[in-house]
Amino acid sequence: MKKFLTKSFAWFGYLAVLLLLPQFFDSILAVSLFNQMAIAIVFALSYNMLLGQGGMLSFGHAVYFGLGGFLAVHALLLIEFETVYFSIVYIPLLAGLVGLLAALFIGSFSTRKAGTVFAMISLGIGELLAASSLIFVSFFGGEAGVSGDRTYGPPLFGVEFFQGIEIYYLAAAWVFVATLFMYLFTQTPAGRMANAVRDNPERAEFIGYSARRVRYISFCASGFFAGIAGGLYALNYEFVTEETLNAVTSGRVLLMAYIGGLGYFIGPILGAVILTLMNSLLSNYTDLWMLYLGILFLLTVLFLPKGFAGFIMMHRVAWLQRRIGKLVLPYLATGIPAMLFMATCVLMLELSHLEDESLSVLSIDLSASSPFTWIGLLLIATISMLVTRRTLPALREAWEFANHMTDEPESKS
Amino acid sequence: MSILTLNNVHKRFGETPIIRGVNLSIEEGERHAIIGPNGAGKSTLFHLISGKYPVTEGTISLRGQAIQNLPPYEIARRGLARSFQVTNIFPRLSVFENIRCGLLWKMGYGYSFWNLLGRQHDLNTAARGILDQIGLSQRADYPAGELAYAQQRALELGIAIASGAEVIMLDEPVAGMSHSEAENAVALIRRVTEGKTLIMVEHDMSIVFDIADRISVLVYGELIACDTPSNIRNSEKVQEAYLGTVTADE
Repeated sequence: MKKFLTKSFAWFGYLAVLLLLPQFFDSILAVSLFNQMAIAIVFALSYNMLLGQGGMLSFGHAVYFGLGGFLAVHALLLIEFETVYFSIVYIPLLAGLVGLLAALFIGSFSTRKAGTVFAMISLGIGELLAASSLIFVSFFGGEAGVSGDRTYGPPLFGVEFFQGIEIYYLAAAWVFVATLFMYLFTQTPAGRMANAVRDNPERAEFIGYSARRVRYISFCASGFFAGIAGGLYALNYEFVTEETLNAVTSGRVLLMAYIGGLGYFIGPILGAVILTLMNSLLSNYTDLWMLYLGILFLLTVLFLPKGFAGFIMMHRVAWLQRRIGKLVLPYLATGIPAMLFMATCVLMLELSHLEDESLSVLSIDLSASSPFTWIGLLLIATISMLVTRRTLPALREAWEFANHMTDEPESKS
Repeated sequence: MSILTLNNVHKRFGETPIIRGVNLSIEEGERHAIIGPNGAGKSTLFHLISGKYPVTEGTISLRGQAIQNLPPYEIARRGLARSFQVTNIFPRLSVFENIRCGLLWKMGYGYSFWNLLGRQHDLNTAARGILDQIGLSQRADYPAGELAYAQQRALELGIAIASGAEVIMLDEPVAGMSHSEAENAVALIRRVTEGKTLIMVEHDMSIVFDIADRISVLVYGELIACDTPSNIRNSEKVQEAYLGTVTADE
């Protein structure tokens, strides 16, 4: 029992965070933000089953999300017109099954190869479906989309799902269950072989596994969970349009998984949270948030190719060698001027873009029309950049030292 | 009884013949080495047997069952495992996971997505056992791609034997190793292939003559001799063809 508790510690923490978040932030805006995060987490995790765990780069993952969403909103309509009558809490499961069905069919020919072939097929299928969604108006509702009403179903323990918070708890329950099952999948033979095929499909075949079959299984599971995310989306917004299954949505989920970190289970969760926050909050403060998102993606690709989670996991060897402590000071020495450099750049961007020409930072008024502001900011930026560059070799040296493999590893506790 | 039989095997890439009618029969428990000058088709022969390439003509049988042109995973399931000339492991998985993946099919897990790996006691014990055998227990949690070269080769051998195969094929297992590393590797190969059938391609003649029960000499896609090490050493035909082509190459 004790072993079970320690092993499950992270999961209890995750559950607690999911349940308690709206207790601390209970504004309508916050709850709507949490709903978006919940949906994004399931969607991004399902995407990572393909790209991170299975090595399949998909440009059309929104297909399964969108189909799940459309089916869910039609299910709401069926309930509303009393064709069928069941609680809406089961709708995400139905949506998941639709995602699974679509994946069973599409995966049967798209998983033959990974790499470019798979990517191009996914792009083609995505475009095909987005285009036909505008043609088959009776199911997809054309450009106007389809809307439903989630409050017609039978109440569950008196809850009728009028409010966002009620949907949040429903979503949180589904997110927890979906996350748990997606994690457990990574711990099964099929899930582990997906990693093996990602790393080296040829070798996998020589230990008895068909790379195609392994990919197909991951692909179907991924379609199922993307469908669940689509169902949650439909329940939250009660409105589904072509946008949910087009390339924009496919692109967004790719960004989330990539920025969060491919190949690590918590990566997409981090990515989903970060991108949803940027999407909703940053856009309140600045018109330039899309620019920052682009820069963030670029910086991630260039400097942290394994994303935020990958950055954390990069320290594994240093940790096993018990040399992680040697990295703290060099990190601070490089990190602080680097942060200062970035902050100054952001300030300059914002100043150049301001309408009322002045900005107050740390109770200093900066005026965009004064040359001293610009000279000062440029000076700070230049100095902080130079300091960053000067400290880099020391950081690199510390890194090399911490990661140097000794012949006999120090015994682990 | 012969465990692996090649009957008149041909391989052509387009018009170019690479393997030209190889007949070979390998006995159970034998240690067989294939030697020959560069470009003789040794690696191609390995790829034909293990299913990486389809054969153009001829039959290959494992324990009397035809295996030519089967996909590699089918051949692996029938008990033939191999290593590669260039290191071929799962670089981002841990050393332990590499071995465990090698064990999965033999232990009957198939494509299961309902068993949790962490709870499979027998599987994990077997994986640790193999890590002990190849001397990588202390590196179990390291990403395989971070190992030193000789250790990666040992890991690759470990993956091959994990499958429980009766026939192990090693393609230049000690290439690129220092002398002492190679000595260790040879000792390891002897130990882990005990009681199994071993087929290896190797350039280092001292190792070949040391390990092999029989040696086949492949020159331009044809077997010109197949005999015991001492007979091969003394064969004029081999000396002439083998050394002759080497000098012609240079």
